[in-house]
Amino acid sequence: MKKIFAVALGVLTAIGGFVDIGDLVTNAVVGARFGMSLVWVVVVGVVGICLFAQMSGRVAAVSGRATFEIIRERLGPRVGGANLVASFLVTVLTLTAEIGGIALALELASSVERRLWIPFAGLAVWLVLWRVKFSVLENVAGLLGLTLVVFAVALFQLGPDWGELVDQAVHPRVVEGEGVPTYWYYAIALFGAAMTPYEVFFFSSGAREEKWTAKDIKQSRVNVVVGFPLGGLLSIAIAGCAAVVFLPRAIDVTSLSQITLPVAMAGGKLLLALVILGIVAATFGAALETALSTGYTLAQYFGWSWGKFHRPAQATRFHTAMLVAVLVGTLVLLTNVDPIAVTEYSVVFSAIALPLTYLPILVVANDREYMGEHVNGRTTNALGLVYLVIIVAASLAAIPLMIATGAGG
Amino acid sequence: MSPRLRRHERPFPPDEQLPDPPQPAGLVLDARLHLLDRQLDDVEGTPVMTIDDLELETDADGLTTVVHLLSGPVLATRIFGGRPPRDRWHRVAWRHVADVGTVVRLGIRGDGLDVLWVERWLRDHVIGRIPGGRHAPE
Repeated sequence: MKKIFAVALGVLTAIGGFVDIGDLVTNAVVGARFGMSLVWVVVVGVVGICLFAQMSGRVAAVSGRATFEIIRERLGPRVGGANLVASFLVTVLTLTAEIGGIALALELASSVERRLWIPFAGLAVWLVLWRVKFSVLENVAGLLGLTLVVFAVALFQLGPDWGELVDQAVHPRVVEGEGVPTYWYYAIALFGAAMTPYEVFFFSSGAREEKWTAKDIKQSRVNVVVGFPLGGLLSIAIAGCAAVVFLPRAIDVTSLSQITLPVAMAGGKLLLALVILGIVAATFGAALETALSTGYTLAQYFGWSWGKFHRPAQATRFHTAMLVAVLVGTLVLLTNVDPIAVTEYSVVFSAIALPLTYLPILVVANDREYMGEHVNGRTTNALGLVYLVIIVAASLAAIPLMIATGAGG
Repeated sequence: MSPRLRRHERPFPPDEQLPDPPQPAGLVLDARLHLLDRQLDDVEGTPVMTIDDLELETDADGLTTVVHLLSGPVLATRIFGGRPPRDRWHRVAWRHVADVGTVVRLGIRGDGLDVLWVERWLRDHVIGRIPGGRHAPE
């Protein structure tokens, strides 16, 4: 019974934890402009994150080495260091977007200016990092994030022409009035949103936080393989809502209130309240994960003591790094940048930084010194190689497309 | 470690015949593969540092041994080239090493080691002073 409960909890938190501000914004923007024609990217991204999250979790469980220790060891100080700088900056950018997302959601709920909420959001994130146990923060944020299911409910309530939606999804084509480069630019953005590097840092370090061993591999695989695809379905529902409400009216999504509008149209105040709760939980949870990831990457590269299983005084550089990261994110937001714009950039830069993270994991997952009998099987390796090609292609194409399209223009 | 050599500056003829390496009994370690950039933990498993560089010493018989594991500023010079002054090296003596595996483990506690001065300074002046900093999370 206890075991079933543990599995259910793991799956549920994986679903609730899958969607963050990047998925929310990118799916809504894409849904409004391209309908369901980019759903295939979400599917590709979800399979990819399952593959590599599961792999990094297995490496962490069997060898006890978290992802960035391995990156440093395999790539050396130079390439590893360049990787650290890139991953760290992308993670801080994502953290900034998440804190902005919390503030925007609170603004929606309270009609109080987001700039007043930003310092409180930053402070709340830091306080939880400082005082709350790892398992509690992971589970509570994940479970509350589940309320985003209302996007799926809203989609049914809106009563769309399902045949039309499915047709858009299975026969992808560029919508009239949009350029082909723009289509591919948003494809990369969606891919980056689904496969953000911080998820792998968080997942592998979380395995150490929770002291996983080889025995826990099976459960972690279930969490990932069941939870993430269901989370991906939530992403698709978000895109679907936007496709039904905004695409026929040719309205671009540029704010969080627009993202929640289809839900309000479908279910009134009750669903709107739930969706705001869900967005606060999802962005708050992701803010915690990204903030922890900044600490994890730095600490693992430099060999510092890290982890929430220590008291802050026993992992002081780790806690200082997180404190500074949250502070920087908060200050950047106070310069009045638009959190939605920050989010759109963060997902594309995630896509650019992806190969740096995924290659070393693939290499070590095949190393018998670390993995013993738990090295990758042939299917996993074949899939891993296919994804490596996709990831490298997306990474190389991202900047030229960004310039060509004026960041999606 | 020496900085990377460029292809055309190879200090040895390309057809040089190398002597057979010695084959001592016991575990053979490759300094680059098994020591450099590995995590160093103390006897209780608390991370101490990543091994950024090694201090080697050659004695009168021409035998080269590892005497210290280095960390700190040597990382920057290993990446960008150059060498910090010797008094800036943060050393951990090789004789304290108890085990070399996927991590290198010390046989002593890490608390008092010089390399951890930043960790201690932050504990005494920043993190330890914020309320709750010395308690386990709940």
